[in-house]
Parts: sequence; C-alpha cells; structure tokens
Amino acid sequence: MTRPAPLVAIKNVTAGYGGLVVLDNLSLDIAPGEFVAIVGPNGHGKSTLLKTISGLVPASRGSIALAGVDITHKRPDRIVAAGIVHVPQGDMLFADMTVLENLRMGAYLPQAAAESGRRLEEVFALLPKLRDRRGQIASTLSGGERRMTGIGRGLMTGGKVLMLDEPSLGLAPIVIDQIYELVDRLKASGRTIVLVEENAARIFERADRVCLLDNGRFVWSGGGAELMRRPELLETYLGG
Amino acid sequence: MDVLVQIVASGLTLGAMYAVSTVGLSLVYGSLNMLNMAHGAILTIGGYAAYAVSQQLGWPAPLGFLAAIVVGALIGLLIFAAAARPLLKSRNFETNVFIATIGVGAVLENVVLKLFGPYAKPQPLNIPGGVRVGAVLIPYQNIAILGVAIAMMAIVALLLQRSRAGRAIRATAQNREAAELMGVHVHGVYAQVLALSGALAAVSGVMISSLATLSPTMGGDPMLKAFIICVVAGLGNTYGAVAAAMVIGLLEAATQYLLGVRFGFALLLLLVIAVLIWRPSGFFGKARIVRL
Repeated sequence: MTRPAPLVAIKNVTAGYGGLVVLDNLSLDIAPGEFVAIVGPNGHGKSTLLKTISGLVPASRGSIALAGVDITHKRPDRIVAAGIVHVPQGDMLFADMTVLENLRMGAYLPQAAAESGRRLEEVFALLPKLRDRRGQIASTLSGGERRMTGIGRGLMTGGKVLMLDEPSLGLAPIVIDQIYELVDRLKASGRTIVLVEENAARIFERADRVCLLDNGRFVWSGGGAELMRRPELLETYLGG
Repeated sequence: MDVLVQIVASGLTLGAMYAVSTVGLSLVYGSLNMLNMAHGAILTIGGYAAYAVSQQLGWPAPLGFLAAIVVGALIGLLIFAAAARPLLKSRNFETNVFIATIGVGAVLENVVLKLFGPYAKPQPLNIPGGVRVGAVLIPYQNIAILGVAIAMMAIVALLLQRSRAGRAIRATAQNREAAELMGVHVHGVYAQVLALSGALAAVSGVMISSLATLSPTMGGDPMLKAFIICVVAGLGNTYGAVAAAMVIGLLEAATQYLLGVRFGFALLLLLVIAVLIWRPSGFFGKARIVRL
C-alpha cells in the first residue's frame, strides 16, 4: 500500500527569529484527513512550526507546499486563502468585538464570506454555547468560551487543514475534555488536523501520528499507542 | 445668557474641528502604534489644496473641498510608503516611525513654503453671513463646520462599524496577528488607515484655515491639540477622542471668554498633566482584563 500524496509537504525547513534558529532542517508530510500531533517541551519550536506554515514566521530555507502548490514565501492572508487555518495559542480573539463579530472575521475572505451563513450554522451546531454567547464581548468570556470562539473563528475560514496550537492550555480538565470531543468530531468530518500540545495523554489515543519535536528537530514519530509503550521517550522528552 | 450662547457656539465649532483631525491621528495610533508627526503638515496641505483649486484655478468651492480630501489621502499613502512601510519590520518601530514622520512633516511643510510663500493667505472656502441668537451672531461658517464635522464622523463610524474594510481595520487594531490569520492583508489596512487619516486631517485643515488664515506652519498648533486630546481620551480610542475633542473645545472656548485667550492653551496643558497623574491611560483608556 502506498501512502497518498501529502496534502502538506514540509521539506528541510529552517526558520527562526533574527539570528536564532528554532526549526532546524525539519521535514514532515501530512496526508489528507490525517491527524498529526506535535508534542515536545516548551520553547523547542512547536508554535514556530505552525507559524512558519501559516506564514507569520518566514522560512529561511526549505519549502512548504499545500496540495503540490508552493506556499513557502506567501503572505499569511494568502495562505489562509489557500486553505490552511492556524488557531493560535492563547486564542488571540478580537477582544472588543462580540463572539458573532469574531466568528464573522473568520469569514473575512471573499470565498469564505460567500459560505458564511452555512458555516455559522455548522459552528453553532458544533459549539452550541457560542450561539447563546454570540452577542457577548469577547474579553468577557470564560477561558473555555474563548477557546471555543477561537476554534469557531478558525472553522469559519473553511480551511482544509486545521492547525491548533495548545488547545488545552490553561483550561480545566472538564473543559479540555469538551475541546477534545470537538477535535474528534472535526476529525470524523474528514478534516486534516495538525495539533500542538506540550504533553497530553489525551492526544496519544486520538492522533494518527505523534511527532516528538526537540530542539527544532523531529526525534521520533509514530503511533500514539506506540509512544505510550516507550517510557524512555516520554521520560526524556516529555518529563515522564 | 449671551455669553453662554457664544461659548457653546464657538466651543462646538472648535471641538468639531479638533475631532476631525484627532480621529485621524487616533485611528493611526490605534492600528499601527504610530504617532504620525506629519499629521500637521497634511492639515496644512489640505488647506492649501482647497486654496489652490478654488482660488488659483477658480473652480467651484465643493471641488476645492474635494481636492483637499483627495490630496490629504494621497499624502497619507505617501507617508505609509515613505515612512511607515520601510520601518514596519524594525525593532523599535514606534520610536523610528515617530522620528521619520517628523522628517516627512518638515519636508512637506517646506514644499508648501516653496510653492505658496511664507505669507498668510485667506481661505476662500468661506460662507459669509450668519444667524442671530439673542445678541450673538453665529456665522454660517461655524454652522457649516459643525455640520461637515458631524457628517465626517458619521461616515467614519459607518465605515468602521459596517463595512468590510472597517471590520478589517478594527480587527487589525485589536490583534494584528489574528487579523492576518483570518486573511486580512495588514499592510493594505495600514495604507487605508493612513489615507483615511490624511483625508480627515486635510478636511480639518480647510476648516481651521477658514476661521483663521492659511500659512505654511498652521498645522503645528492643531496637531499639538490633537495629541493632547488623544492623550486625554486614551491613545487609540477613536470614539473617546471625539468626546474628548468636544469637551476640550467647549472648555477652551469658556476659558477664552471668561479668563482671556492667553489662558486657553495653558489650561489644556494643565488638563493633560492632571489626566496623566489621575488616569495615566486616559479618560476612556481601559486596563484590559484577561481571564484564562
């Protein structure tokens, strides 16, 4: 059996800030519909990898392609338009806008605006709480509601590839469970998901593939169940 | 009673003029974190553009007004291209762009000096006559300024709240990276904001010169007042800036009538000091609460 052609192909990418190299000659292929989890200690390049894919951080070497089309040096707004959506760490909501206005900003691009009515219903169906909160100013939401608004806003773009940066960060366990149930449903609907977490057993049982990122390089990748059976890896890279 | 009418009439006119130029300044600070020190020069150029079209070319007054708007917007774009854009990636953008726009402002002011000479000129966009309220004559010009200012504010508010471009401006001001991730081309937004700000400054320049005179340095004083209003309102808070402009206009008029013209500016500076001691982030500036 051959693997399907990758939807996202990252080849030998080096990236960082100023003179500081954060991603060191890193490669990763993501198949359509695949759920890839990227784990590793803080400050080792997980968020930078997502930012490099979404165009916020330029790659100094290497290439990134989406469905065979090179997007390496495109602007972030062009990369969203191409179909990769990045839900950033810490939500980064538009604090003075309502939940509904935040969601509508997700449908800012013309192709997303054309679908915004239907997508808004989809988002409300997935996250019914947002429907109740739609008139509320984003800065007054609880942490869980903020996270849901951030993810809902990302879904409004209609991107084929959904990148989530630490969706469990700072949330109570019960809310984290809700967020991961949502991720399950998004996966079941056929979306390609790239998810970054510091360390969460919750993702090992869900992800098709777990990649361990350490010092800007992938040191291991494989199934989540397999990683659970490798205590030495967990010990070395994820602190047990 | 007559004094009160006089104070309210001239205070509202002053406030309206201040509001128009302050909103431009505030939008630019809110979106780009950029203090545009060339704002006063745009104001001056706006006044002269109206003069050149309606006096030197002899075209109708509305065209002069329109010319001021167009030239102001173009100068705003020029400032984006020449000063803001090259510095956006620099480490100390706020400081660097502040210095760069002082330079751009000096150049623009000298272009005006070279083209129109150093002597004060009357602004031809002026409506003679007035309406009498009690013993007080309120010039039509003041009423027109108030009307135009209200119209401009309404247009800006509609633009920001209802249009796609306005939503992109607000989103960029609130969170630049998130706006980019939603598909907003932020450099385009910056250019639009500077063009809008330039157009507003130019309109304000036409208004101010129609009550006083045109001169190459006329923009300095209103720009300083616009900064004062921005600080009092809370930097980058556009709606607060409108409210603060009206209050300060009324306060200045009251001071001038009751205490004398020379105390007007001193009182404004006193007000800034008081506000900065009492509420360092401005009257409408808020300390944002972040819940996790």
